[in-house]
Amino acid sequence: MSDLKTPPVIVLKQLKKRFGLGDAEHYALDGIDLTIQKGEFIAIMGPSGCGKTTLLNVLGLLDSHIEGEYELDGKSIADLSAKRRAHIRSQQIGFVFQSFNLVSRLNVIDNVALPLIYKGMPKLARQHKASAMLKSFHLGEREFYMPNQLSGGQTQRVAIARALVNDPAIILADEPTGNLDSRASHIIMEELSDLHKLGNTIIMVTHNPDLTTYASRVITMLDGQVDTDTFRLPVQSRLNIKKPLNLVAKQKNNTKAALKRKLKK
Amino acid sequence: MKILFANHIHIARQSIASSRMRSVLTMLGVTIGVASITTIFALSAGASKIVIDQVDALGGNIAVIRPGAHSDGALSGIVQLPVGQQYSASTLSEVDIKSIEKISNVKAVAPLIILGGSVSGVSQGSPRTQILATTPNLEQISNLEVSDGQFLDPSLSGSTAVIGPQLSVDLFGTDQSIGKTVTVKGQPFTIIGILKRTNDPINYNSVDFDNAVIIDLEDGRGLIQGASQIQQINVQSESVEHLSGIITNINKALLKNHFGQADFTVLSGSEIAQPTSSIFTALAGVSVAIAAISLIVGGVGIMNIMLVSVAERTREIGIRKALGATNGDIVSQFLIESLALSIGGGITGYIVGYILAFFISTFLTFDPVFNWEIAGIALTVSLVIGTVFGLYPAIRAARKDPIVSLRQYD
Repeated sequence: MSDLKTPPVIVLKQLKKRFGLGDAEHYALDGIDLTIQKGEFIAIMGPSGCGKTTLLNVLGLLDSHIEGEYELDGKSIADLSAKRRAHIRSQQIGFVFQSFNLVSRLNVIDNVALPLIYKGMPKLARQHKASAMLKSFHLGEREFYMPNQLSGGQTQRVAIARALVNDPAIILADEPTGNLDSRASHIIMEELSDLHKLGNTIIMVTHNPDLTTYASRVITMLDGQVDTDTFRLPVQSRLNIKKPLNLVAKQKNNTKAALKRKLKK
Repeated sequence: MKILFANHIHIARQSIASSRMRSVLTMLGVTIGVASITTIFALSAGASKIVIDQVDALGGNIAVIRPGAHSDGALSGIVQLPVGQQYSASTLSEVDIKSIEKISNVKAVAPLIILGGSVSGVSQGSPRTQILATTPNLEQISNLEVSDGQFLDPSLSGSTAVIGPQLSVDLFGTDQSIGKTVTVKGQPFTIIGILKRTNDPINYNSVDFDNAVIIDLEDGRGLIQGASQIQQINVQSESVEHLSGIITNINKALLKNHFGQADFTVLSGSEIAQPTSSIFTALAGVSVAIAAISLIVGGVGIMNIMLVSVAERTREIGIRKALGATNGDIVSQFLIESLALSIGGGITGYIVGYILAFFISTFLTFDPVFNWEIAGIALTVSLVIGTVFGLYPAIRAARKDPIVSLRQYD
């Protein structure tokens, strides 16, 4: 990687996460050492139950009962208060969930504006920002739809827009395409890869080996440990690889056509 | 913080609007509770106002001594039972009257013995007719006016009585009953005067003068075998300025008579205005009980609905936490929702309470009173209910593990 000299965003040292007690004791994460640099696009793969999601939850500070070291931006999270962790989640981390997790009572724009509430932004500013974010995801006309009126692909784009609205440094995506067909999946992956190009750190859990082509680094896990850790081609060269949907290239030539196609999904 | 607060209110409104039926039913308990409280307080304030106006009309130079220790507090006027009216022995005695009469600047003293018992003339009177034994001074102190004849006069020989105009009509079919004989507890009395109609069943003497028979103190004592049953002593001072000095002296003198035991109460000004009508007291007692029960039931209802709401929105809580909500944010979100329910119920109850009070007042001789204390009580009660019963569900919501919450499907 080109930016190895900058301090790593995430450092894990012998990270362990235990579930259960006594006889039922079981390590979901069993000694993980991992260093993640700023700007990496990491795909984590592995069979069910190998601890991928648990790792993501730990990285996202949702789960703080861990053993071992976790340093975020050079600071150990061990002695952070719950309030401070919530603050970091609000400022630095964006979550994209497999099952989208939009609040069904709220319309699209309110869902996207949700993280901004906890940043303490006034209502009008929230709406402006959320609206701008939705436009960049070509969902400008869907602002006042309810989540159940959207297609799966649209819903996930809303979820990604929500994850990004507070300009997080790290995006954690737990099987973001798990519930989508392959066409919609690749649109989502294009979005993520665009974000990566803007310099965001993305950590994504996936079951689908096809999607790892977008990542700059692929980690496979087995039984709570890192099995393989492969660095892929740098981003620039990856652009030339034939992609399942040649969307990014087309978008550059004919934005309107691509936009229409996207909206159809 | 301000932004979050506004947002929580917005969320609460949305959430309540999305399940309108459920919210309205939940509010009902608080509504009933606050409505009963508002009704009682509005009516009791109305009753008090009448008495205060009476005291003011008399020039504000009246002090009243009642047996029993003074009980303080906002509710005492409502839940207090009628002061030892008929059967228990009073702590006030002849000696006390004598001591008070000796105090300087006292213009007049009138003891009141209020009895119940059969009163009859041509026809039988109501068993609730009050028999008041007192001295001629009462006419002056309480500003009683005689429409026909004269007030009590000790110089007249024989047993004499003054009766209220309504009682006169009830007993003799006419308000011209002077010279006729009224039988009080088996004893015959000659009527020497008819009072002017006052239409004031509620007053600080606890006597409905329209419907009472007034006899001389000595005759009254004869009817109860000389027992000491003075329910109240009215004292009139020379002027308003002297009143506070007189009250101090009365307290001193009576404490000495009672061997240092404060088993009496000296009241003046608005303190006198505690409503003492027994019907009213019974009504108020029942309403307070209803209010307390329905407030507790209403509170439990709010807690129940909030727990349901928390369970329904477990996933939402998980999402909000993942997106950066602190535990405090979640607590205030749900607390504000339960407060919105209880305050909504409170405001409705306040309005319903006044409608009820005005309806009831059509059967009474006084009107309910609007004042900020009643609004304050209604608001405080709803705030307390919302907080007390909303806190546990809110804390429970905040304690939810975001990972587990996110896994739940709605």
